[in-house]
Amino acid sequence: MNVDASTNQLTSLVNNQILARLERLRLQPNRRKTNRTQGEHASGKGGSSTEFADYRNYVDGDDIRFVDWNIFARLNRPFMKLYQYEEVMHVAILVDGSSSMKFEGKFERACQLAAALGLTALMGVERISAYVVGQDGQPPVVMPPCSGRASMKRLFDFFERAECGGDAPIDAAVEAMLRRHRGKGLAIVLSDFLTPASLKRPFNLLYSAGLEIFALQVLGPTEIDPELSEDLTGDLRLVDSEHGGTVDVSSIGELHGIYRDHRERLEEHVRRQCRMRNGRFLSISSQAPLDWVLFDLLQRQGWLK
Amino acid sequence: MNPAGFLSPSLAWLFLLVIPLVIVYFLKLKRPRLEIPSLVLWHSVINDQRVNSPFQRFKKHLLLWLQLLILLSLIMAAMQPYLRGGPGSASNLPILIDCSASMAAVDSPDGPTRLERARKRVETLIEATLPDRICLIAVSDSARQMTEFTNNKRILKDALDKLTVRDVSSNLADGLRMAQALARRETIANVVLVSDGNFSGLDTSANGDVIAPVDVELAFELQYEKLDTSARNMGITAFNARRQTAVLADDGLTPWNVFVRVDGSPGSETSGEVLLEQDGQEIGRQPIALEPGQSKRLVYSLEASGVSNLVARIVTDGFDGLDSDNVAYLHLPISRSLMIWCDTKLESYRHALAVFPDIVVFPGPPAAAQPDVFDLAITETTEKANPNLEASVRLVVGQIPEDLSRLITTRTGISPVVDWNRSSLLLQHVNLDNIQITDEPVRGDDVLDQHVREAGYEILATGRSGPLVLARHAPGRQAYHLLFHTDRSTLPYRVGFPILVKNSIDITQHAAGLAEVQGQPTRVLRPRTLEANQTYTVTGPGVADQTFRTGPDGVLSGIPAPRVGLYTINDSDRLVATVGASVLDSGESSLAAADEIVPRDEELRVTASTTTIDTDRPLWPILAWIAFVVLLVEWWYFQSNTVRVAR
Repeated sequence: MNVDASTNQLTSLVNNQILARLERLRLQPNRRKTNRTQGEHASGKGGSSTEFADYRNYVDGDDIRFVDWNIFARLNRPFMKLYQYEEVMHVAILVDGSSSMKFEGKFERACQLAAALGLTALMGVERISAYVVGQDGQPPVVMPPCSGRASMKRLFDFFERAECGGDAPIDAAVEAMLRRHRGKGLAIVLSDFLTPASLKRPFNLLYSAGLEIFALQVLGPTEIDPELSEDLTGDLRLVDSEHGGTVDVSSIGELHGIYRDHRERLEEHVRRQCRMRNGRFLSISSQAPLDWVLFDLLQRQGWLK
Repeated sequence: MNPAGFLSPSLAWLFLLVIPLVIVYFLKLKRPRLEIPSLVLWHSVINDQRVNSPFQRFKKHLLLWLQLLILLSLIMAAMQPYLRGGPGSASNLPILIDCSASMAAVDSPDGPTRLERARKRVETLIEATLPDRICLIAVSDSARQMTEFTNNKRILKDALDKLTVRDVSSNLADGLRMAQALARRETIANVVLVSDGNFSGLDTSANGDVIAPVDVELAFELQYEKLDTSARNMGITAFNARRQTAVLADDGLTPWNVFVRVDGSPGSETSGEVLLEQDGQEIGRQPIALEPGQSKRLVYSLEASGVSNLVARIVTDGFDGLDSDNVAYLHLPISRSLMIWCDTKLESYRHALAVFPDIVVFPGPPAAAQPDVFDLAITETTEKANPNLEASVRLVVGQIPEDLSRLITTRTGISPVVDWNRSSLLLQHVNLDNIQITDEPVRGDDVLDQHVREAGYEILATGRSGPLVLARHAPGRQAYHLLFHTDRSTLPYRVGFPILVKNSIDITQHAAGLAEVQGQPTRVLRPRTLEANQTYTVTGPGVADQTFRTGPDGVLSGIPAPRVGLYTINDSDRLVATVGASVLDSGESSLAAADEIVPRDEELRVTASTTTIDTDRPLWPILAWIAFVVLLVEWWYFQSNTVRVAR
């Protein structure tokens, strides 16, 4: 964590200045997927708030308390007054805790971003839940749904204690999360998305569960550009950090260009999968400054407002 | 014949090294392990690369392939492959190298001698024609086999280094005959001759080319590699002296005329001076200028009281190609009276001898000391019949030699002289026409002149029934046999008789070296009569303390004189004689070069080639370079840390 914990910081993940600025931001989902419980997100359906929304014809069984009697007096027909219904949006934050996230501060940056985005959700009076999935086949580490400013400490503690390690691919992590998650809203997925499996199925599952996908890819600088690595030269036996598989590569310097092509192709694949489900996708470097990501990149991309 | 081959095919077993190389490669190939977050991208990268590169399977083990290529190149280089050339390649190749006097010539000031240039060419041939077996043959006045057929470079080069010029003319026929003889033992398809083209007996063809006729049938293809020659030269080609008169001067000095012939090379004009030294003192100096190919004879007159050593030297103006022919030696003998034995019965001869000066006739005045060996013996007894009478020249009158007694007999009858050899030394200017002979020599039945010749006799005059005058020459000995007795013929009454006696005296004077002296050419010293059964040591240039032994006749012969210079003959403790040998060969001094060699079968004439022989080309340097370049590529490809891809 790059935040000095010796001072009176609220959390070691994000410093207080950033927290203060985050309190004024809100998540901006493309669709309004909310729960019936009352919240801050205006529902398309009629509600019980004080803010007028529309009229409709009276049908049998309607509560006559909402009949507009002034209209009835003029038109001699009953019309129902509809009010804005504000519902709670459930924000599920999934952090990839597999071993591949150990490298180059990816997991730490993912936790920082998860905490920051979770904070904006709490500040927006949303229900949030968090999941860290590391080992495949084992239940994820879960922060149960909570809401309100009072849950902020809980959120920070969860991500401060989060550990990474394991071989869970992101698709398995999504399935593990959805087995416990209830409620519509927003799914923020922080991962490197380096998985051999297709992302169609997990993204379909998220979409079907009423969750708008916010996919944030966190890659190390040498994953983005292998030429930056002094080790990735000559003949190498590359070892997968998750399952220990190996690949012998000769004259690896010649492959950097092809690698970049494939990384960009993967990025485009994830982006397209998100866009097909009305979601959003961003790829960042783990070494990118946190404040720049939160207050510049994410705001410009419309993730936060 | 295969167009290619290997010098060391046995080293092919080195190909087995490929097996351990492959095993070691796969066993010891250790790539650095590098843990990365995920192989997902790298898997797709590798797959994509294999699809894009048709040689990816090869490239996967490029290091192995490069190592195999290096190993195979080195093994092939070790096997020493070569491409066969033209005539320079044969399984057995005799190389004749001219080592005659002209090969010591230089064609430019401070340039290499022709022998050095020939040596370099042969060295190139030795390097290039292996594994063919080469035999080096040095050709000068005779052919000498320097090596057996071998492909041992060290032996061949050692023999090549030992090659030296002999200041003699070149006997090409002898060299070719030696190659012929070798061809009987080994399969020889080609013979290489490296020479400047200066052979003895050069001739000019109808179209003006200089040709070298050799009386040899070529059973092989002769490659005549001629060195480029352009030397100008002037040399002494003859050096002799003749006594001016047959009488001693009053002061005891003998007057001599000395003749020096100087030849110039045909290629250019030459000029200089000819110096004559007598016993170390310069006594004459004459300027000389020669047109191309011209020769001049210079005459010097001098007097000598006893043995006198003459040296003629040429001091040329400017460049002179050959040094060895610029000096010549001549030894004037001491003058003395001829010692002649003449039987008392042969009054006609004694009477004729009485008019000649400077001779002492025995038996004669009691005061005269009788020598052990007479210069001339005129006798009625043969040498075998009277062995005590020793003489250098013997004129036997009225006796048939014992070894011809079964072939020729004598009968009484009148016989004329049918024919005689008018150019023989004994009978020149002697008119034998109308001579009547009463002792008629008669050949036996079935006896031919050939039988007489086979007995070692030369027939100088022939009668009606058989030979009349015979001559027999042996080293240091000459014998003339008049098979009829002159007293029983009309010869003493003819003018030809005193001429016959005078001719005998002239022959004797020449044999004793008293009338005319000729310079000693190199090759072999002339026989000389010394003490019988005595061992002598000969030292001179090219001859290091060789010992020779005289026979019962005291003749010392067969002393080689390969180089120009002074040769000393010593017995155990004293100097016996000093002999100077000189080139004295107009062919060598002219430095003329044959354009063609014409063997007995003229259709097989060989034209000179000045280009280097197309020899076997070794390929191992190319393979070694390939191995080196591949090594560099491997190093660059795998060890360079700055590999970048331009994409």
